[in-house]
Amino acid sequence: MTSLPPDVLPDGVPNVLLDPRTTGSQRAAAGATGRFVSRSRLAIGALYWFAWLSVSRRAAVGTGVRREFENLGVGALRLVASSAVLMGLIATFQVAAQLAQYGAQSVSISAIGWFGARELGPIAVALLVVARSASAIAGELASMRANAEIDALRAMGLDPVKYLIAPKLAALFFALPFLTIIADGLIVLGGLIGALAVLGFGTSFFFETFRGAFTLRDMAIGLFKSVTFAFVIIFIAADEGLNVESRVTAISEAATRAVIFSVVGVLAADTVVNAVFYFIPRLL
Amino acid sequence: MTADTASENVLDVASLTGPAGRPAIFDVSLGAPRGGLTVVLGPIHSGKTMLLRHILGLECAERGTITIDGDDLDARGESEAVLRRARSRTGVVFEGAALLRRLSVLENVELPLLEHTDASPKQARELAHWLLEDVGISANEDMMPTELDRAEQRRVALARALALRPPLLLLDEPTSGLDSHAASELDETLSHLQQWGGFGIVILSHDVRYAFGHPGRVHVMVGGSIIESGDGETLRHSQHEIVRRLLDRRGVA
Repeated sequence: MTSLPPDVLPDGVPNVLLDPRTTGSQRAAAGATGRFVSRSRLAIGALYWFAWLSVSRRAAVGTGVRREFENLGVGALRLVASSAVLMGLIATFQVAAQLAQYGAQSVSISAIGWFGARELGPIAVALLVVARSASAIAGELASMRANAEIDALRAMGLDPVKYLIAPKLAALFFALPFLTIIADGLIVLGGLIGALAVLGFGTSFFFETFRGAFTLRDMAIGLFKSVTFAFVIIFIAADEGLNVESRVTAISEAATRAVIFSVVGVLAADTVVNAVFYFIPRLL
Repeated sequence: MTADTASENVLDVASLTGPAGRPAIFDVSLGAPRGGLTVVLGPIHSGKTMLLRHILGLECAERGTITIDGDDLDARGESEAVLRRARSRTGVVFEGAALLRRLSVLENVELPLLEHTDASPKQARELAHWLLEDVGISANEDMMPTELDRAEQRRVALARALALRPPLLLLDEPTSGLDSHAASELDETLSHLQQWGGFGIVILSHDVRYAFGHPGRVHVMVGGSIIESGDGETLRHSQHEIVRRLLDRRGVA
């Protein structure tokens, strides 16, 4: 038998977070401060183990990330693709209809250029992934907690944040930007279809106008946003799932709350990022 | 109740009352001999699982001590590092198996090896493969746990529990949800593995099959206290009405 490695972390950094020895009443008594502390630990623990995952070569957990990516990312591909084309169409129509009275329908192509990659793509993908996966993540963790599976992991000396949450976070850190890039492209395709078939513009005019408005920096900002959203979604869904109460209806309630708070969380994070870029124009 | 000396016992629980603040088990003392079989028998909600949770360090006790393989755990709460050490020497099979759903069967068994030892991924894989063969699962080790039936899941959990060659193996309700055929197959596998591994087994169950037909000691737990201890014959002649009712298959168990 090989010797035990020393603890990777000083005692209790992310480990205390889910300490099942903390009773429900203690948790309630901890109040807002306690919840803040336990959430901070969840966030720090998840990021810590994400960093660990990205350097570790330990096979078993790595394949967990791959399966989460297939589930959270590849599985959402069809949903995101079809929605993105439709959103491109809708955006083109809406802007064109507003601007028709000024005879400036062609601005809708520019709008796709500067709005699609920077705002519409990342936020739409994030909300679609919330709709598809946030309740599933919270429900999975909540049912694991209710079945004492989370306690079981701890009893085997396996940190639940490391084995359950960090793989999801790692997967979504890649999946969301990946889906956003695809959505960005397909929003443009939707815009192109709208411009050609309905507004009667030519292909070369479309791409000329589009290129005049589109910058890679917009896309980079959009991808930065999607990474932020990935963290917000996993953090909120995990927090709701892991802190589920022991009642019959608690699991479905946790799943519902995860969706609601993830939507609000994603929009709030978007607002913050936009505000930062608005008030500090140099970052633009 | 713990007549044996501590060195012969792989697990000693002494005067354990807990959890702190809302006790569900009261003054429980028992010892599990190294390489032997100990059974804690009791109806559902008699405190068996709470006892297990204390042994695993998942609950803080009010009073009492727990000794695992010579290491004293202060049952009132221990630091993570001490618990981590104790946990690497305790194999446990939970009632619900508690396998990680996103990892394959083989990867689930590799996990403790990768977490608690410095075995290389290749060594871990070989050892996991070998362990799965030993518990009677070989054909389908790349399957996901959810594709297995309950009995197979429990076997995988058994392989995972034995991966670190623990001196102590705890099983919570090993036969629940299994038909009697699958249950006796599991028992056979267990005793076969015990001959090889020499670990002490503690079974917590409401299944009266564990009361008789083995040389081990049986503790009957009711309402959070151990009310009777001894071998099957002692229990059969117990003064306690509730013990006799429990052993009678038509009884409350």
